[in-house]
Parts: sequence; C-alpha cells; structure tokens
Amino acid sequence: MKKLKHLNTFIVITAVIFFSSCENPKLKPPRENVNQDNKEQAGVDGIDREFARELAREFGREFAIEFARQLKGSNNPVNFDFSKDSNNTQSIEGHIVKEGKVHPLLTHCSEDVLEFYQKHPDCFSILSADSLPEDLKWQDGSGEQEFASQNARRGGTWEVYMRDFPRTLRTIGPDANGAFRSYLLDYNVISLVHPHPNSDGYYPGLANSWAVGKDGRTVYFRLDPDAQYSDGKKVKVSDFFFFFYFMRSKHIQAPWYNDFYGKDKFQKVTLYDQETFSITFYKAKPDVVERVAIRAKPEHFYKELDGEFLSKYQWNPEPTTGAYVALAENVDKGKSVTLIRQKDWWADQKRFFRYRFNPEKIRVSVVRDYNKAFEVFLKGGVDMFGLAKTEFWYDKLPDNHKLVQNGYLSKVTFFNQTPPPSYALRINSQKPPLNDLNLRKGFHHAMNFDLVLEKIFRGDFVRMNTVADGYGGRSHPTIKAREFSIEKAVAYFAKGGFSERGGDGILVNSKGQRLSIELLTGYRHFEDVLVVLKEQAKKAGLELKLKVLEPTAAWKAANEKNHQVIFSAFNSFVELFPRFWEPYHSDNAYQEIGDSKFNEDGSLKSNLTTKVSTNNFTQTAVREIDHLINKYRDEEDLGKITEMAHQLSQMIHDHAVWVPAWKKPWLRIGHWNWIKFPEDWGPKETRDYEEFQVFWIDETEKDKILQAMEKGEVLKDNPTIRIYEKYKDN
Amino acid sequence: MFQINPLTRKKLARFRSIKRGYWSFLILVSLYLLSLAGELFVNNRALLVSYNNEIFFPIYGEQMSGKDFGLDYEYEVDYRELKRKFDHDGSGNWVIMPMVPFGPYEMDYSDEEATGFSPPNLNKGHFCGTDKTERDVLARLLYGFRIAMTFAIGYLILTYLIAIAAGSLMGYLGGKSDMLGLRFVEIWANVPFLYMVIILVSVMPGGWGVGWQVSSLLIIMVMFSWTGMTYYIRASVYKEKSRDYIAAARVIGASPVRIIFKHLLPNVVSTLVTFAPFTIAAAISSITALDFLGYGLPPPTPSWGELLKQGVSNLRTAPWIVISTVTALVFTLTLVTFIGEAVREAFDPKKFSTYE
Repeated sequence: MKKLKHLNTFIVITAVIFFSSCENPKLKPPRENVNQDNKEQAGVDGIDREFARELAREFGREFAIEFARQLKGSNNPVNFDFSKDSNNTQSIEGHIVKEGKVHPLLTHCSEDVLEFYQKHPDCFSILSADSLPEDLKWQDGSGEQEFASQNARRGGTWEVYMRDFPRTLRTIGPDANGAFRSYLLDYNVISLVHPHPNSDGYYPGLANSWAVGKDGRTVYFRLDPDAQYSDGKKVKVSDFFFFFYFMRSKHIQAPWYNDFYGKDKFQKVTLYDQETFSITFYKAKPDVVERVAIRAKPEHFYKELDGEFLSKYQWNPEPTTGAYVALAENVDKGKSVTLIRQKDWWADQKRFFRYRFNPEKIRVSVVRDYNKAFEVFLKGGVDMFGLAKTEFWYDKLPDNHKLVQNGYLSKVTFFNQTPPPSYALRINSQKPPLNDLNLRKGFHHAMNFDLVLEKIFRGDFVRMNTVADGYGGRSHPTIKAREFSIEKAVAYFAKGGFSERGGDGILVNSKGQRLSIELLTGYRHFEDVLVVLKEQAKKAGLELKLKVLEPTAAWKAANEKNHQVIFSAFNSFVELFPRFWEPYHSDNAYQEIGDSKFNEDGSLKSNLTTKVSTNNFTQTAVREIDHLINKYRDEEDLGKITEMAHQLSQMIHDHAVWVPAWKKPWLRIGHWNWIKFPEDWGPKETRDYEEFQVFWIDETEKDKILQAMEKGEVLKDNPTIRIYEKYKDN
Repeated sequence: MFQINPLTRKKLARFRSIKRGYWSFLILVSLYLLSLAGELFVNNRALLVSYNNEIFFPIYGEQMSGKDFGLDYEYEVDYRELKRKFDHDGSGNWVIMPMVPFGPYEMDYSDEEATGFSPPNLNKGHFCGTDKTERDVLARLLYGFRIAMTFAIGYLILTYLIAIAAGSLMGYLGGKSDMLGLRFVEIWANVPFLYMVIILVSVMPGGWGVGWQVSSLLIIMVMFSWTGMTYYIRASVYKEKSRDYIAAARVIGASPVRIIFKHLLPNVVSTLVTFAPFTIAAAISSITALDFLGYGLPPPTPSWGELLKQGVSNLRTAPWIVISTVTALVFTLTLVTFIGEAVREAFDPKKFSTYE
C-alpha cells in the first residue's frame, strides 16, 4: 500500500510537470538539445506521456498542477516565455526553435506540436520571405469565369434528407465518413485553391494567389488576408503546418489519412511570412496544384491531439472556413442536424463564392428508407431528389405526374462531364478457370450488357468502354467494350477447352468440369442487372452463380482476393489523368516486389503470396503492364502521360480482366420549383446536385406553390421538364 | 414403429370431423402436391412437341437446343417462339405449352416495349403480371410456394428431431443432465435468432451452388430455433415418465431406448402434433422475412419475400405484385392456422385424456 502511494505521488509529479509545461502555450519546450541547461525539463522526455495524461485525468488536472507548484516552491516552475522577445527573431530565422526561442510564426504552438515539427525538420521549415524564388508566376484565377448566377438570392431553408443519423460531427476518424460529412466538408469547407468545374484552370479559395515552382512539384500559396474560421479566428500559415501534424497523428485513428497525407507524398511545407508558404509534392505532376491544395486545420481549436481526440470532438465540430456552421445546439439527436449560414462569412463577396451557398439554413433530416424519402419529397418535405434510378424517373414520377403537370415539381436532366464511377465486372485473373485468357474473353462476350442497358436502364445509360473513361484526352478514343455475342463467346470458350454442352445447356470440358463462375457483389440494388446477365449467359453455355452479400462482406471477400468475379465500382475523382498503379500493378497483386515475381519469359512464378487489401481486384500481374505503369507514374509531361494512358488502356483491354458495365452521362433530379438554378443549371463537372451549391430558394415562389397546391391550381410559369445539353458529349 | 392405437384413431376421426381444418389440410396438401408437379402447369418448356413425326416431352430431361428443332442456335429452344413458328409454317409440327407458358427465371422480353412491371395480361399468359425484370409473377409465386413449403417441412422435421432427442434425454435421464441440458438450452435460446441468421448468411461462402445455399440456410435456421420445442418435450416426458406404465415397463426390464421409443414418444406425440402446423407457419414467415430483408435464398431463386420486397418498393406503380403475393401468403398461412386449430382441438386432452 505504501509503495502504491509513492508510485501515485511520482506519477502525479511527472504528470504535473508535463502539464505545467504545456498548460500555457507560451511556455515553450526546451527539448531535443534545445535547452541543455535545464536538466529537469529534459527529464520529462523520458516519461510515457499518454500514461501521465491518463493519470492526471484521474487525479484532476488543476489539483495536480497546484500540487506540483507547491512541490517545487515556485509559482512559475518553468519559464521559457520568449514571445515577448520579438527583437530576436532574425537570429532564429530558418529554424523552428533555435537556442530555446521559437520562431514568431509558431509561438502559439503547443509543446507537442512543436516537438513534432522539430522531429521532422525535413518536412517543416521556415525561411525568410527574401528566400522566395523571384521568378514565380503568380496566378489568381482572374481569367476564369464565375459559374454561379447573379440572379441568386439569399435565404430560405434547404430541406435535405440522410438515411442515417451521423454518429459523430467529426470529419475524420472512426464513423466519420458517413453521408452527412459531405455537408460539413465536401460541399462546404474551402480549400486553398479549387479546380474550376468548367475549365482546366483553378479558382482561389483560402489562397488568393498561387504559383508553381521551377521544380514543378512545389506550389507557393499566398493566403487571403480575409480568410477566417467561423469562430472569427484568422486562418494562419501555421495551420498548414498543423494540418500535417493532425493528419499524421495516430490519435485521429484514420490510417488512410495518415498514409495519404504522409511524408512520402507531401514532402515539405515551408513558411515564408504570415501569408506565404509552399507545399512540396513528391513528384512534378501536371495537376500538382490541386493535389496539394489542402484545407486549413484550425490549430487554435485543437491545440494538440491526444488519446481523447475521438470523444472530445465527437459532437463538437471544428470551426469551418465554409459558409455553413454546425453548432451543437442545432443537433436534434436521431432526427436532424441544421446547418446555419454564417452572418459575416469571410468569402461572402469573393468572386467565386458570392452567388453560391445561398440558403440561410440547411436542414438535414433522417429518413431511413429510400422509398419513404421519395414520398416525403412528393409531399414537399425534401426539396430535391435524385432520380437516376429508372423506375423513379419513368414510373414513380412520370412526366405526366400531377405534381409535374401542375407546375409544382420539375424533372431535370443535366448532362455533365466527369469520370464515372467504374461499374464493372472485375475478373480475378489468377483464379481458375478464368486464369485462361480465352475463357476471360469468352466471358466478356457472354455478358449481355446491351440488354441490361436497354431494358433495365431503358436506354438512358451508355456502355462504358475502357478502364479510364471520362478523362478527356487521356481516355482511349477508340477501344470499345466487347459486345455480347453468343458465337464469339462459344468460340472463345471452345478455345479454352469448354466445347461440349451438358444436359443443362452449360458447357463442360474434357475433364467434365462445368463452366460455372461465381459472381460476387455487394450491390443488392443491382441484383436485377445480374439476374439478366445470368439468364443471358446461359445462352452462351456459361453458368453464373450469383452471390449477393452485404457491401462490407463482399468488399472483404474481394480484398482477400477470394472472388472469381466481382461486380463493383470505385468512385472516380475529377482528376486530370487516370490511376493505373492501384488496380493493375502486380505489386498490388502479390507481396513479392517488382520483377522478382516473374520468370525470365515473363510468366508468373509459382508460390507467390497474394497481397490482400489492395484495389487490384483483378489480380493483374503482367510484367509489361508493370513497366509501363512505372514509367507512367514517373512521367511529368502531359503529352507522354496521355500516350501511355492510351497504351495502358489497350493492354488492360487485351488482358480482358475488366468487363466495363455502364456510365450515365447525366444527372437526373426532381426538385420543387421554389428551388431555382442558374441558366446552365450547373457547372460541367457537377457530379452531384449538392456539390457546387449554385441553386437558391425562392421563398415567394414557395408560398405561391404551396397555396396553389392547396387550391389545386395549375401553375404554368416554368417548363417543368428540362434537359440541359450544353455539356453533352457527342 | 408406431401403431395407430384406438386413441389416436379417435383423434384423427375428430380431426376429420372438424370440417374447416380438415378441408384446409386437404387443400394445402393438394396445393403442395400440385406445386411439386408445377413444371406441368407453369413452365417455359413445352408439354409436348411433335417435330418431324417424333414426339418430345421436354419438361423433365435434358435441355434441348434450338438446333434440335431446326433452328439456328445452340442454346435452349424458345418453345413459345417455336409454337408460333410451327403454327404458321404448316409443317404439321406442333407444340403444346403448359397453362402458364413462363418459367420462374425466364425474362419475357419478347415485347419490344417491355421494360419491367407489365400489368396482368390474360392474352399473353401473364395472369399476375410481371416483375422488374419481366419475370412472370405467377410462376415465381408457384415455385416460391414449393420452395417455402419444402423448406418449412424440412425445418419442421429437423427441429423436431433435435428437440425430441434433446427433450427426451433431459426428461428421461433427469438429474444433472437435465439441469445442465436445460441451462444450455436456455442460453442457446437467448442467442438472437434473426441477427445470428443474418450474420451467418452474410458470411457464408457460396461456392457450392444453390442447393447447398438453401440447405445451409435451413441448417442455420434450425440451429437457432430448435430450442423452443425442447421445453415442451422435456415437460411431457417428465410427466409421462412418472406414470405407472413406465414404471411397469422398467420393472419388466425394458431398456431405456425401448421405453423412450415404445412407451414415452407415442404419448408425447400429441404435444408435437399440435405444434406442427404453427411451426410450419413460423418457418414460412421466417423464410419470407429473411428473403424480404435480403438474407434468405440466393437470387434469382423464386421467393415470396423477394416478390414482397419488389412489391412494396413499387407499391404505386406495380400493385399487382404485392396484391398477388400478399393474397398467396395470407391464404397459405390461414390454411395452416386452420389446420393447427383443428389439430389442437382434436388432440385436446380434455376430450381424450390419456391419464387413465
């Protein structure tokens, strides 16, 4: 017992020393050889911080600090406040901390954060403003056109629905990636620079100008002096240091982000002055600006991260640079979250933001069932509803629907240009019998997507043709998906050894094996598509055994590469050129690295170890494809990238591991007529009607429509069935 | 093994005398038997084909390709098309199609305009309309009924076998084995049935074909639902065990196996029989519910749950799906319930006590 008491005292002291040093942000850490004189402080380094923190929490922080002070007989046990010592800044130029003095740009940083920066001097550096390259060509997007409408009006409440109540208001970490996050993040928060949705250029966000360095991989940004968070605090250059501290922290429990924003890709951040900084990417890419155009992380809000991160910020959203704020008091748990537009939003009158983000409030309510949500929409409880699904467009809200005919509701088709989600059948090319190229080609010809497109999607969807459709010039111009042809399928199957039909019409080979393939999917809503494919494939003598699992279970099976064929899709981002390494490089198929997995003739060695949890669902491992992908990844010239993208598309097509399904070249929505849109409806790269927030709510119109509905009047002001074909790809 | 003793005979006679239950029983059994021969009534294969003076009976047997009948394709012949062709070409060949000339898996895209959810059409033979992929709703109902009933009967047999074995053992042996067994049953019964089934079904590998999937679903369901009956069997066995005739049997040296099978079981069978129809009803409802939720039989197996799901999500646009499925479901479950009531009444110990 006595021993325990001593232990407690010891722990309290260590905890207290630790906390007293970071309690006041001005108390700067004399660590890592920075202040060799203070032996006592250096000693703190040896203690398990997490443990100390845990215990301080147990005993109470205030008490613990007070206890430590008394123990040391001083009210100010550590005294390293050099923020007042600003005359001395020149001497510490280029260093985060020099001779115990912290660079003025970072004086507000907490100890843990500073320590992180110091530990990675190659990632975080501070230089003087003089060292900015002089020949930079600063850009500010002034040549780009605005894409919102001047007619837009502010006000109103935008009613939307979500299927499930968000489990957290964090935007990162476990449970954070639900549908609701988009309202907090994707549709809201401003990045440094945004790719312009109508052109290949950019428009300014938090940075009012930017420039790409000579090396092609360093981008210089100049912060907009107006940029601020919703709590009124200015966005600082140091927030972009902090961004990486945050994203690389283990406390956020988001390994994907840890990796994505890791040192391998984001090699260096350099601060120059209070407005200027640069981010260095690992490679000179033609689209390097958007690759490094990150968002700001409010350092003043988080200060530093610890093991409590998840619980502390579960319902305590960070201040945002975007127009809409989620406040804890506007959360009706289990029912709805209301986002309020900031009264004095900093970007309110900025050129590319001024006619956007128009509604005063966004109310996101829970409607658990999709069909029920549609009914709510028809009652006016939800303002817009995606009508991409054929039966919704044609059967549930047909053109002659009363609400449409009476002029209350509109049906809109908007042709957009974005890389489509890659709906396809992915053949595991290492699983027999489909490790045979002939059988794979036969499989392609046995898939009757034409019938699916015609009957299930009523001709509104079009066939995808290559593995990289929708990337403009980078997409292969001539490759066509293999068509449904029983003759060709049967011929290929015969080449692969399956030439006789069994009693049930399914082909068998000389060993008596049936040509039966398991088709896995996690998309229950596309069951009917697969059923059509299955029935049609029978004609070519191929049996498909459908296995419809829960999305996560299907994903897991595919990640473990246990599938024969999986029907799935990856979401594609609006990017300049497609990615090939993740889905087609052999390093993502087997654990053996590089060419070590190939024999001299290019064939695969036996006894290779499958690599799980990668996007190479086709288990493609072809030496020539590998080599070209390596070159492609290293290439910096857009012309050569284009050429190689075409070659790769062709090679993957020839390898026949990917049966392209469909893409829809449009967005289709229904909306109440009090929602107004710009003349062109939306920018070219709109993937989602919520994305660019260029619409507005006409409240007088809303009253008018509601009144007319009550009286049963017909409003004839607007055409209610509209097609926007400006960006239609011919 | 069991001889119908006079008491049972009386019970059966009483069952027969309860008209509503008896007729329900006859209707249900004949419906099931009919569905077993469903291919003869609802099928896309022809009943009879006469081609070049040869008669074919393609329903049961190997698939016949288009080439077998002088057409230019190798896959299964479209008999409706063949019938139209023979009717027009005057060759003297003919085809007789079943009453409903559609199979449960087959999509009838013969109409250019058809894009799913065609309403009932007597001329075309879609008596109950079609579903989203133009499959005949009646065909899917019939084959769905067959599968659900077969499934329910299999479920009944399996759960009863386990429940009888476990219940009789606990009841007959008594003592510690009873105590431990009962605790185990109690714990097992508290495993949430639906969740377990959903979890197991979603991780079940599916490489062995539909038959395997159906039987594994059956096994999973049985695994988590046999406990209910065990209590009743155990209690009945306990009750019977202490009767004099068992003591007498034991005295004359009958083995436990003989006592259980020869003496105990015939006397507890009335408990089982009264529960049987309700177990069937429960099995049909659970398989329908699971299918409705998407965790039941693998697609495209015809099933009522899947039809219900389609029907509910297209309530306004394709009401014929939900109408015909709900009618079929209610009708079947009502029949089963009537049978159950009649059985319970017929086996009511207040009428025919076995306590003498």
